[in-house]
Amino acid sequence: MDIRWDLLAEYAPFFAKGTLLTIGLSIVSILIGCVLGLFIGLGKMSNNKWIAFPFNVYITFFRGTPLLVQILLVHFGLIPIVMGQTNAIVAAITALSLNSAAYVAEIFRAGIQSIDKGQMEAARSLGMNHVQAMRNVILPQAFKRMIPPLGNEFIVLIKDSSLAGIIAAKELMYWGQAMQGQYYRVWEPYLTAAVIYLVLTFSLSLLLSRLERRLAVQ
Amino acid sequence: MIEVKNLKKSFGQNEVLKNINVTVKPQEVVVVIGPSGSGKSTFLRCLNLLEPITGGHVWIEGSDITDKNTNINEIRTEVGMVFQQFNLFPHKSVIENIMLAPMKVRKVSADKAREKGLELLRKVGLAEKSDAYPDSLSGGQKQRVAIARALAMEPKIMLFDEPTSALDPEMVGEVLEVMKQLAREGMTMVVVTHEMGFAREVGDRVLFMDGGVIVEEGLPKELFENPKEERTKAFLSKVL
Repeated sequence: MDIRWDLLAEYAPFFAKGTLLTIGLSIVSILIGCVLGLFIGLGKMSNNKWIAFPFNVYITFFRGTPLLVQILLVHFGLIPIVMGQTNAIVAAITALSLNSAAYVAEIFRAGIQSIDKGQMEAARSLGMNHVQAMRNVILPQAFKRMIPPLGNEFIVLIKDSSLAGIIAAKELMYWGQAMQGQYYRVWEPYLTAAVIYLVLTFSLSLLLSRLERRLAVQ
Repeated sequence: MIEVKNLKKSFGQNEVLKNINVTVKPQEVVVVIGPSGSGKSTFLRCLNLLEPITGGHVWIEGSDITDKNTNINEIRTEVGMVFQQFNLFPHKSVIENIMLAPMKVRKVSADKAREKGLELLRKVGLAEKSDAYPDSLSGGQKQRVAIARALAMEPKIMLFDEPTSALDPEMVGEVLEVMKQLAREGMTMVVVTHEMGFAREVGDRVLFMDGGVIVEEGLPKELFENPKEERTKAFLSKVL
């Protein structure tokens, strides 16, 4: 396999643009996903079955159906209804956020429930109300435990954002496919894309393990 | 100070407390003994509503805590609790553990809370550990910090749920010593324990529980030396 470096050089600016969009999509989606996931996780933990029910349905749906299907539903179904016409970037962010929110909700719930129930009892026995006990005692401990799984979720999201190429959001994978279509080359576009994804996910996991170490010291 | 009337508690079909009636007077030290599964810990946890009560009433200083209109958080500030497993907050230093509730609940300033916290740490003999984290303490030290943390709210009543059961034997003494000092100062205390020596020496009254009822109660001397009920005799013959 001889590599056509000249073609790669020609496509380099597009890959750069695509990488930026991939990073942007991932960051915005994980942020929205975290906020939404927190809310959904709390909803699922409600003692009231009727409140918890819709959140359970949400999590079951978004974890139980393929992300590709969700992206197509959002792109061709949901976004046109809301905005009048579809928009690939909005659709990609929406689908990725909704999907990651379901996973984040479960991470959040597991984090809170992993804290020994004696902690809540001790806080309550001192006269704190539920919200004070959550804020000062449970959440700070749960958050530490949530960092590794949240980091995994972020890494998965970066990789999953490649599916947005299907609906012509001009991210990394979109340009990979464009290059293959133009020159009928396989290795150059897809290996390039693979290496860039690897750099992104590997840097993130380095960053996360440093964060984990710092929190462990505290 | 504490009045318990017809207290019942069930977990599902399992009736753990059957009709408990107890009165605790101010400054009294009541020790609750009995075999595991007798319901003594559950009884204690009902006194500050850590366990929801199935039936009956509990009055703390005249407030019926089974009444939905009673603010239980307010009652709990008057009732300190010490747990078998310490339940210190691992993400906070010793002094922060003690300062947290006074600052958040009583809205005491950080300076005042710290001052009070250090005073309490001196009292339990751990002033030099104020900036340590719970993980670095021995069991006995943890439990003494937990006692200081409960005292920081200046409670009128202290509940102890088997405070020495999770400790290595050589550390039991230091915790009991702090509890004895509290009793001498006139704290109203309800203590669930297996330490019969402590019950005899410090208790004003001993309750023997078995099978979810108070089988026998009396002065420590009477109950330990002349138990009237067969079940009390059988239990004491195993533990003394």
